[in-house]
Amino acid sequence: MNSRFYLEFLKVAAVPLFMAAVLFFASCAEHADDGILRLGLMEEPRTTNIWLASDANSRKLISLVYQPLYTYDPDSLELTPWLAASMPEYDPDTQSYTVRLRDAKWSDGTRLTADDVVFTVELIQRFRVPRYYSQWRFVERTEAVDERTVRFFLEEPKAIFLTRTLVNYVVPKSQWEPIAEAAGQRQKPLAALLNTEIEAPLGSGPFVLAEWRKGAYIHLKKNDHFFGSGVEVSGRRLGPHADEVLFKVYGTADVAVLGLKKDEIDFLWMSIQPGYIDGLEANPHTTVYLSDRSALYYMGFNVRREPFSDPAFRRAVNVLIDKDFIIDRVLQGYAAHMDSIVPTENVFWHADGLPEYARGLSREDRIRKAWRVLSEEGYTWQRPPVDENGEVAAPSRIILPDGTPMADFSILTPPADYDPARATCGVIIQEWLKDLGIPASSRPMAFGALLQRVKDRHEFDAFILGYGQLSLDPDYLRSFFHSENDRPGGWNMSGYNNEAFDRLADESVMAMDTQRRRDLILEMQRIVMEDVPYIPLYNPSAVEAVGKKRFEGWEEMIDGIGNIWSLTRVAPLEE
Amino acid sequence: MNLKKLLLRRIIEIFVVFYIIMTILFLLFHLAPGDPVSMMVDLTLTPEDVALLVAQLGLDQPLWLQYLYYIKNFFTGNFGTSFHYGRPVIEIIGQRLPPTLLLFTTATVLAAVAGIWWGKLIAWYKGKPVDTGVTIFALVCNTLFLPWIALLFIWFFAFRIGWFPLSGMMTPEIWVNPAAGFLAKAGDVLHHMLLPLMTLFVVNTGAYLLIMRSSMLETLREDYILTARAKGLTERQVRNRHAAPNASLPVVTSVGLSLAFSVNGGALTETVFSWPGIGRELIFAVSNADYPLAMASFLFIALVVLVANLIVDILYAYLDPRISYE
Repeated sequence: MNSRFYLEFLKVAAVPLFMAAVLFFASCAEHADDGILRLGLMEEPRTTNIWLASDANSRKLISLVYQPLYTYDPDSLELTPWLAASMPEYDPDTQSYTVRLRDAKWSDGTRLTADDVVFTVELIQRFRVPRYYSQWRFVERTEAVDERTVRFFLEEPKAIFLTRTLVNYVVPKSQWEPIAEAAGQRQKPLAALLNTEIEAPLGSGPFVLAEWRKGAYIHLKKNDHFFGSGVEVSGRRLGPHADEVLFKVYGTADVAVLGLKKDEIDFLWMSIQPGYIDGLEANPHTTVYLSDRSALYYMGFNVRREPFSDPAFRRAVNVLIDKDFIIDRVLQGYAAHMDSIVPTENVFWHADGLPEYARGLSREDRIRKAWRVLSEEGYTWQRPPVDENGEVAAPSRIILPDGTPMADFSILTPPADYDPARATCGVIIQEWLKDLGIPASSRPMAFGALLQRVKDRHEFDAFILGYGQLSLDPDYLRSFFHSENDRPGGWNMSGYNNEAFDRLADESVMAMDTQRRRDLILEMQRIVMEDVPYIPLYNPSAVEAVGKKRFEGWEEMIDGIGNIWSLTRVAPLEE
Repeated sequence: MNLKKLLLRRIIEIFVVFYIIMTILFLLFHLAPGDPVSMMVDLTLTPEDVALLVAQLGLDQPLWLQYLYYIKNFFTGNFGTSFHYGRPVIEIIGQRLPPTLLLFTTATVLAAVAGIWWGKLIAWYKGKPVDTGVTIFALVCNTLFLPWIALLFIWFFAFRIGWFPLSGMMTPEIWVNPAAGFLAKAGDVLHHMLLPLMTLFVVNTGAYLLIMRSSMLETLREDYILTARAKGLTERQVRNRHAAPNASLPVVTSVGLSLAFSVNGGALTETVFSWPGIGRELIFAVSNADYPLAMASFLFIALVVLVANLIVDILYAYLDPRISYE
């Protein structure tokens, strides 16, 4: 063996090395990126078709292109006119709302008129577009009074009309009418509508889609006809100040965070794991934003089954669950405590003074308290969890009031690869319940299978699920707990049935006076937290990060800085 | 049996196997719990909305009827519309396949060439320190966990020293710049390709090298090698002209199949490098219960692998005249 061997050995390695050297120099091409706001995503949006866009990433893209009549003020979370010029006027005699539009235009320069609004509503109603129809079904008819005035006639008073319905997007009649006509002729009209590809969506938002190179990037340009340019809304002067927007997609959070540190993106538009915070805070070029969210992660019971049908049993479980421990240890402190189904951060609708159950108690005191709650209701143990001296001891299996030992049961959770926090909560809660002789076992299950068992078939005892983005309007209380939603596929998955609650919920739907509705919603929360069909566990914080070398002016709001206020207001830093 | 008969028999076999794969795929997807609609945790979606969507997607039909439609559609060239994207499946596969082919066929060819070359050399120097060293190195590379080494490469080569882009297939700022010409864009794609290529090269070359080495060692014991030496040929001629071509046969089979599997891409590689290929798309399609897209992608992969098997079999006979179809 001699030097010739090594030479020959390296011949092959020379090919990639040569390529690397050539391309390294070849691709040092400079590119101008002034005024381009670069946003990082973890998955590519699925579509630009607003009616198909149910995934979070498509909705981010859509939110820059289409606009609603009203939005929420970032501070007060109150309804604020957006495409509308003023607050809606209600006429109780005709049960109608009148909305006056701003002088707004579509991105092709044509005027956005009342006809567009009427067309949007009629399209949703005609095709029964999922997600939208439930918010417009009670609107009997919509009328264009003049070019810039729309009137909505309701079948009956509906409180959510203001807070849920009017925050939906408006689409241009000129683009969608021919599509709707063609889809209407097809055998499956809705499928045809959803499957229409919209290559160049005509919108009224701050940006307009310039190019979508599938799998690589999405390029938007400033919409010169955006109504908000230079206009003050809710005390904030709108832009947009970025000339262009680029969406870049990263396959893993690790690489996305590196992208942020390396200044490849200005904002990573997703909530990141708390594990990244230290590294990002230590980096001089990035800023971390921690925001409250309108989210709910909870444990639910199947109250159709014994002993979960017993409110005392559910209360005892609530006592045993140390929510602060879960927040500190499982979520590393990046979550808010929840004592109601409505997050505390939703300041207007959240009820104060609800039962705290066992907050701040030690493990032993929790066991003692839960033991007392259950003993009073006739539950017994051969070997109780608290001995005659009041000391906590290892209990035997709990015996139900009818004398039968409680059967083993499962707490269904999503698997750890889907959500490690919820899977871990299942295991921790299982151990806490065993301290009282409650034979629980945590059972992670594929998400689809879990939902099918809980929501469609009602074949479960308990489960842990969550909603990452609850609407600010608390109408979901009715969805979760009204007895009419206790049906296969309905959102009352627990099977909770309480006439008093139903009455309040029905009244809250019709209450057009906000203060009256608030009182009803507060009372509904009190009932639910007495009966605890759901035990709220935590509300995770939104952890977001931006690069601070190029843009400034991010607007903090519930659910994070990725909101329309930020994206219309961030501006390039002065050199 | 002559080649024609063999071909015919193999094509019929392929058809039968393919049909069985189609059926298994259909059952796997449709019997798994959860459908694309019921998996949506969206409070604005009422049970009526769900029922309407399920009907519009055709999922309310009895399973046997869905199966018949599926078979009929497939053989009439209708691969369906993706539930997720609302676009024809064939269009999505058409978009995702070229990046995958570009990356994985290049990686396979480079790794195979290097593996054959180096395997040949180290076998020649069996027992010497270079053989031990390279064999151990190849074994280590072959057992590396790809996402780990990929992240390590990204962190070092792209983030720390900045030689390569972090991820993706193109730099959007270059592509949206009207002043950028073809060369700049092509250079940009190649630049993005280098790091994933390097990773795949490191992980894959070891396997080819080890196969080639052991095959070469077998060959060197053959009588014809002794004859070649006896004829007075130089060591170089014996190694390169007589031993190596014969020894490379098992590598050819392995490369053939790897090339076929490159249509599958590598879900992990594509995910870590944000490479917009079909492997990543498959993962999304399966996790979102996007049956049309997932099934069509799997069927496409199955078909390519089956055909590649056939081609490798035929190729074998040409490469090794000792093999006949009699």
